[in-house]
Amino acid sequence: MRRIWAALTTTAVTAAALTGCGLGSGDSKNGDSVASAAATGEVKGKVSLQTWALKPKFTDYVQGVIDGFKKKYPGVEVEWLDQPGEGYSNKVLSQAAAGSLPDVVNLPPDFALPLAKKDLLLDVAKADPKLADEYVAGGVDAYRFAGQDGTYGYPWYLNTDVNYWSSELLGTNGLDPKKLPTTLDELIAQARVMKEKSGGRTYLMSRKPGIGDLYNAGVKIMADDGKSFTFNTPEAAALLDKYRDAFKEGLLPNDVLTNTYAGNTKLFNSGTAAWTTAGANYITALATDNPTLAPKVVPSPAMNTPPLYVQGLSIPKSTKNPAAAVALARWVTDAENQASLAHLTSVFPSTKASANDPFFSRSDGTNAGDAKVIAFTSLAKAKIIQPVQIDDAMSTVINQQIALAISGDATSKQALDSAVEQCNKLLKG
Amino acid sequence: MTSRRSRRPGGFNTPSPAQTAARYLLLLVVLLLVIGPFLWQLSTSLKGPTEDIYTRTPSFLPEDLTFSNYAKVADTIPVWTYALNSLIVAAICIAGNVIGCTLAGYALARLRFRGARLVFGLFLATLVLPGEVTIVSQYVLVRSLGLADTLAGVALPGALAMLNVLLMRTAFAAVPVELDQAALVDGANVWQRLWHVGLPNVRGMLSVIVIFTFIGAWDDFLWPLIVLNDPQKYTLTVGLQYLNGTFSANPRLIAAGTMIAFLPIVVVFAVCQRFFFKGVEEGAVKG
Amino acid sequence: MTHRRWFTPWLLAGPAIIWLAVFNLWPAVNTVILSFTNAKPLGGGQFTGLENYGRILDDAQLADALLNSIVFMLVCLPLLTVLPLLLALLVQRKIPGITFFRTAFYTPVIASAVVVALIWGWVLDDRGLVNGLLQQSGLADSPVSFLTDRWLLLFSAIALTAWKGLGYYMVIYLSALANVPGELHEAAAVDGASPFRRFWHVTLPGVRPTMMLISVLISVNALRVFSELYVLSNGQGGPGGRDMSVVMLIQMYSRGFTGHLGYASALSLMLFVITLGPMLLLMRLNRKAA
Repeated sequence: MRRIWAALTTTAVTAAALTGCGLGSGDSKNGDSVASAAATGEVKGKVSLQTWALKPKFTDYVQGVIDGFKKKYPGVEVEWLDQPGEGYSNKVLSQAAAGSLPDVVNLPPDFALPLAKKDLLLDVAKADPKLADEYVAGGVDAYRFAGQDGTYGYPWYLNTDVNYWSSELLGTNGLDPKKLPTTLDELIAQARVMKEKSGGRTYLMSRKPGIGDLYNAGVKIMADDGKSFTFNTPEAAALLDKYRDAFKEGLLPNDVLTNTYAGNTKLFNSGTAAWTTAGANYITALATDNPTLAPKVVPSPAMNTPPLYVQGLSIPKSTKNPAAAVALARWVTDAENQASLAHLTSVFPSTKASANDPFFSRSDGTNAGDAKVIAFTSLAKAKIIQPVQIDDAMSTVINQQIALAISGDATSKQALDSAVEQCNKLLKG
Repeated sequence: MTSRRSRRPGGFNTPSPAQTAARYLLLLVVLLLVIGPFLWQLSTSLKGPTEDIYTRTPSFLPEDLTFSNYAKVADTIPVWTYALNSLIVAAICIAGNVIGCTLAGYALARLRFRGARLVFGLFLATLVLPGEVTIVSQYVLVRSLGLADTLAGVALPGALAMLNVLLMRTAFAAVPVELDQAALVDGANVWQRLWHVGLPNVRGMLSVIVIFTFIGAWDDFLWPLIVLNDPQKYTLTVGLQYLNGTFSANPRLIAAGTMIAFLPIVVVFAVCQRFFFKGVEEGAVKG
Repeated sequence: MTHRRWFTPWLLAGPAIIWLAVFNLWPAVNTVILSFTNAKPLGGGQFTGLENYGRILDDAQLADALLNSIVFMLVCLPLLTVLPLLLALLVQRKIPGITFFRTAFYTPVIASAVVVALIWGWVLDDRGLVNGLLQQSGLADSPVSFLTDRWLLLFSAIALTAWKGLGYYMVIYLSALANVPGELHEAAAVDGASPFRRFWHVTLPGVRPTMMLISVLISVNALRVFSELYVLSNGQGGPGGRDMSVVMLIQMYSRGFTGHLGYASALSLMLFVITLGPMLLLMRLNRKAA
């Protein structure tokens, strides 16, 4: 009993600073000297690469990329560490606290920000001035942070959300899969039809609104300086009111109140909801989970502005082999290697050179192929919607307050005010 | 020992058939509540790829019975290596707890010494310190001992659990003082009294501790994840996380994975339960 | 009890005391220090005086969390001190097949949290087993929202705690029952005492120390309940976070790269002080018994 909760949690951490483990001034090497060493040094010796949950599905791919690197730079040795999907932030955090980050680390932007703030990451634009020419702006921007000078990672693969609909559930409940809703009002109207026809057994709407929905309703989430939240506007309250009324009417399942990001996908997989949002590779994944549902899924573009998800490779300042680390990060994220990863699964390269690859703009006629094309087209206008400043605690608070408003236990304004107040407090620390 | 059988501990009068039937009925009701959910998980892990696992009418019996999910799990991750690593960690923890907690429990229960009450109070107090807050302090400590990325480092903090010290203290305290005094009259020293009088009477609690420790070590996830870097050294719970890839997830494989982690402890427990429950009952003091 | 050399007890308790100091007390001291700072996982940590403690006083979620803990304790205490004892009595007698039942009753204890999470999420879902049975039998028209209602969620977590704790406490009781000398039962039987009277006058006094230990464990566990609520609410703590427990708050504030370790530490200390209550009670009872 004592341990089970420890097993579940993402961690708590006592301050590394007080325990004296490697964040002292001795470690904060001059960034410029590391960058110039990276630009001029010889690529050889040992270098470590840490990826996130690519084993076992992409073992061969990564091994191939590493072999290619070793061929190009004889005398270089690569140690590859792949970490499991669960608990990655704990892992990176304890590595950072202990001063033992690998030379090249896969960090999503929200992991990179706190490390960059602590001056632990290398400004790769300094080591590699051509960065902005070779990678798409959205990817590079993801690793530039308000109040921090520099670019703290090589953009790697990109993804976005696509709408997925169950043609079967739509069809049997009097809705036309050819006339999919494209706005919230249409969605609510169709959800009403679905509820009446199915007797409340199935739902069309499958999630409560989040930061993305507020953004799309024209709400400014954060002040430009990234120092305070601003999403408690009347427009935001009006949006929550709409959802609250829909929930009261029974257009959303109770589950939405405590669901997190992937909750709507679970409802969709189980045949309870006829709509979900997910990444471009979703249908392929569904084919193994629910083989009878997969062929009946129809993809459509995300409503309004699609979200942009970015992965990238960062290099800690403490690296002992900056030249090889930069070379390796460049190699893994170069156009050719990214393209071959994207051909294996539905993610998209962050290199400009891949933009014209016909592979991404041509569907093979399957619904999975259609989804890939839709996602690729969406990427052009996709934006990073959720500010990187929003951490675990803040998203929990926002989720809780929105749920409170939807359930009708608090007014939308109260809930939003409370969420903004708490988040500002958390932001300030 | 033969007299033991006739002397049922806590025995009641010989039950009537109706009483026995009622007892079995109650047992069956509890059984259903307790293990029903596990059977569901087992059944999911045995369902084939063509079978829908998300349906409105869940079926307990797989239509398309297959063990391929298990084979696939064993193909994708080195299950046996991971299981062995988990076993090593569990073995270190068990050894540490059995020895350390027996000694400390005996001292606290049977020896009077200055500061005993303070020590006991501190042991009790640790039960409420949320582990959340101490985990990175522990990591830093283990690393400074040079044990980061080793199985010994994983085992170390759990190798002497405060709760078990308290349990052993309770067990020793229940041994009648007269036995100790008799031994004392015979001129036995502390070690002899512990070995010949104390230990035989606390075997029940010891086996309880062995089982608890094994389970704790086997099920732990976060701590080994933080300590270990090298995938070859992963324990089973950490290794199984590979099944939850970022790109896709198949609940059948995940069910099979959880069963791979779960069934061994069930088997170990089923094999050990003889000693376990017998040990539990041998807590009774002879004569 | 006598022993010849003064250091013998310290020799015996030595390893345990070292572990106590290194893996428990030292982090505890660290926590006290942190609670007066604004420490973050990566550096930070200026002294901020009592600011964190001031924050405790106007944290509305904390008030809810404490209320939850109290309800949790009030329900769990009778439930888990009595049911496992009855279960232990039920499986104590060696009747055919009893080892199977004992082993089976213990399985929830040995299952890891992931397995339990999957299972209970499914059982209590709006479309899950329990709601299916309720609707089939006509006891409910529409699904009961076990997982999204403020109080139902709390009681679901209590049910899960009881389910997982039953076998755990049963075994502790079994061990204690075995320590009740058979002669006492025989003597009582010879005197013609009814099973109930024997339970009351022989069994209960025999397991009383264990019962004390167990009720303290339950109280403490209720005050620091975490995984049950966390699992059932997807880590969200219900609408408005009203189903959070103190440990869930600690976890929320301390996780991730930007964790508020100072505040989390202050919360931990507060929790520690509260849990001293049942502890002191146990020590006092122990002293009385001795």
